[in-house]
Amino acid sequence: MIRANAIEATNVSLVFGEHAGVFDQTYCVPEGTILGLIGPSGCGKTTTVRLALGLYRPQKGAIRVLGADPATFRAEHRARIGYIPQQFVLYPNLSVAENAEFIASLYGMRRRQIHRRLDELLEFVDLAAARNRLGRQLSGGMQRRLMLVGALMHNPDLLFADEPTAGIDPVLRGRFWEYFRTLRDEGRTLLITTQIVSEAMYCDYVAVMRQGRLLAIDTPQNLKRRALGGEIIHLTLANPANLAKAIGALRRYPHVKEVRYAPESDRELYVTVDDAGDWIPEVLNVLEDPQGPNIVVESAEELALTFDDVFIRIIRQWEAQPEDQTADAIIGREQHG
Amino acid sequence: MDSTSPVRPTQHSHTTPHPSDAVVLWLIRTRAYFLKEIREIRRQPLLIISLIAGPLLVLVLFGIGFVNSNPVLRTALILPDDLPDDVRTRLVSLISLNFQITDRAYTLSEARIALEQGDLDVVQVIPADISGQLQRSEHPTILVYSNAINPLVEGWVQYLAYAQVNEINKALLTEQTRLAQQQAREVGVRIALGANRLTELEREVSRAEQETIRQELRALRAFLVQFRATIPPENLFAGRSEDIEQVRLRTDDAIRALDDVDAVLASGDIEKGLKELRDSKELLTLLDQQIAIFISIAPETIVSPVQQRYQNIRTEASGEASGAYPAVVYYAPGVLALLVQHTAVSLGALALVRERMMGAFELFRVSPANMVQLLIGKYLGYTVFIALASVALAAAMRLLGVPLLGNWFLFVILLLLLTVASLGVGFLISTVAGSDSQAIQFAMISLLLSIFFSGFFISRDSFAAWVAPIIALLPMSHGVEGFQDVMLRGIPPDPEVWIELGIIAAATFGLVTFLTQRQFRRA
Repeated sequence: MIRANAIEATNVSLVFGEHAGVFDQTYCVPEGTILGLIGPSGCGKTTTVRLALGLYRPQKGAIRVLGADPATFRAEHRARIGYIPQQFVLYPNLSVAENAEFIASLYGMRRRQIHRRLDELLEFVDLAAARNRLGRQLSGGMQRRLMLVGALMHNPDLLFADEPTAGIDPVLRGRFWEYFRTLRDEGRTLLITTQIVSEAMYCDYVAVMRQGRLLAIDTPQNLKRRALGGEIIHLTLANPANLAKAIGALRRYPHVKEVRYAPESDRELYVTVDDAGDWIPEVLNVLEDPQGPNIVVESAEELALTFDDVFIRIIRQWEAQPEDQTADAIIGREQHG
Repeated sequence: MDSTSPVRPTQHSHTTPHPSDAVVLWLIRTRAYFLKEIREIRRQPLLIISLIAGPLLVLVLFGIGFVNSNPVLRTALILPDDLPDDVRTRLVSLISLNFQITDRAYTLSEARIALEQGDLDVVQVIPADISGQLQRSEHPTILVYSNAINPLVEGWVQYLAYAQVNEINKALLTEQTRLAQQQAREVGVRIALGANRLTELEREVSRAEQETIRQELRALRAFLVQFRATIPPENLFAGRSEDIEQVRLRTDDAIRALDDVDAVLASGDIEKGLKELRDSKELLTLLDQQIAIFISIAPETIVSPVQQRYQNIRTEASGEASGAYPAVVYYAPGVLALLVQHTAVSLGALALVRERMMGAFELFRVSPANMVQLLIGKYLGYTVFIALASVALAAAMRLLGVPLLGNWFLFVILLLLLTVASLGVGFLISTVAGSDSQAIQFAMISLLLSIFFSGFFISRDSFAAWVAPIIALLPMSHGVEGFQDVMLRGIPPDPEVWIELGIIAAATFGLVTFLTQRQFRRA
């Protein structure tokens, strides 16, 4: 199935100072997917979101959101968009219900619609019991959930969430990503920024950002492969004396891309292949071949790298590149049929 | 997943809404801001209580505590030793009317030190021989010293000293005129005797009798000279000075005539001096007639012939001369105008700056609501709140005896217009202030400007013409004037009040719309 793009950005630049802003951003977000913008503080995530919301106008390039230029959004376009800004901007002297009602009214919802929708959403984010609690009496996590309720009241097709999980505990973060994936499953498109690299695994697509540039954008799995050059098989040999012989045998094998020593071990190896699941049996056959090396392998499994490692590798690769070389940052229609 | 997934409502049609729908949506969005403001204020009961009870308490305290609009001036009176007791008593009683005379006796140097140290407010030095100086047509001067730093107090000292000297002058002249009239009565008796003696001279009288008459006429002359000296100088009188001058002239004529008679008697040839004798008799008669006029006039009429009678037409029907309100009532409309303006300016000043700083502008800009809906919603919310608080305060003021003599509908319209104009000033502050504290500071400056220039305490006529635009720019100036007219005079406010308040309201709304629109774009 080919999906239309909710967001399409082509060579978008907005420069605030010598090195501040965003530069040559080209990306698109298919409808019904989650794009996670990941990067350190100040790397341009919020600017990217604001450009897509029409709060900023690009100095260069073009951006289309829901088929329109955000700078010329009409009320009908805005009614299809939900937004959770970075800070809690709801009102401390209004109750949970009143805050949500206020936001919903800005989107033109009538009272009856509001009450019905509010009941559902408060249930959805486990805030039903806090319905009449004032904004100032809410914990940080409840405030975030209230922001999510506010952003969803008018049933947007496209949701922008700027660091919605910043500063909240891991359990609640997990809940948030459950909410987001549920919303995605309903067909909504989400663009979510985060500094927490491990959250990339919850996204359909991940864009890695640094210094205003999109370094890479792809599915989490593909990004992993791109960062590592494939997948890694973690081998443990029964006898450390066979280590050199094993390296030699593996390097001669054409499907092995790289063989490295595992750090701080005299009998473990990291073997890079295209697909670890496919190639573990073949690698074991090569090493244990009685006619060949005849090395006893104690264990062989895919190395589970964290996304932090992937992120660091992508950053290092980018830093090693010449300045004018940008990463392929397009999610093409053909990639997600 | 633990949480329940919400049922996704029907998708938006994504078509342009029907015009009637657009109006409904516009109203819903404006109402959102309106309700939000009302709910936020409603959650701050202390704010509501302080807005209504605060000014009312201040007004009650003012009403109870205010006793006198004149300052109390602690005064040392330095009197000369030669002052007669009766004059001393009179002076002290006159000066006590306006100045609080201290019990302690001061020398001039002690009094000046006490002035410098702030132990005294005024020192008055009475000159020696006041009566003598008056007789010599000199101007005795009472020296009044003060060390005032307050221009209003200095003005009061100068005015009260002026009023006091007028009263002293009046008292002295009245007394001197009364003495002159007493002596004039005696002069009248003696003139009649003198005239008889001159008649006797026209007949045949012995040499010895001539000598007796001559001595009597000499005594009369001496008495006339003495009388002339008691006549107060003409230039000191406020009225009837011609009558006084006539007495003086006739006295001079009579003295000269008696000199002529004396010369005739000295020559011993009365036959030759008969004409002088008859002329002298006539002049004495004229003096007698003039004296009769002089003593027939009350001394007070001679000293101050014109009087005043005050009548406040508000209380003419009830027969009471004074009709001004007590201070607490007079200042009540000003307090109401001050409350309305300051509350509106403060709320308005914080309204946008707070939203801008917390990042809400960004949220509003992303939504389909526009900035005009935001402004109108907020204006409406604050207007309703301030109007309700003001009506509650005005009702409480009624309990203090503050009337509403005019049309209540005009009162409400004026209240609303003042609120909207003041909100405009507040919102304008909000668009230029960079933080909450800056907004509050600007609101305080507007409060200070209003207290000084709105006519609340200091009359607007006291200011130079170039200050007029500043006065006109303050909503409270028009509020004070309008509320005083409607509440205390029972008349509709001047058209200028409506026009200028309307201009402030419209101009500030236009400016706020323009500036907020720009900030909205930059949010």
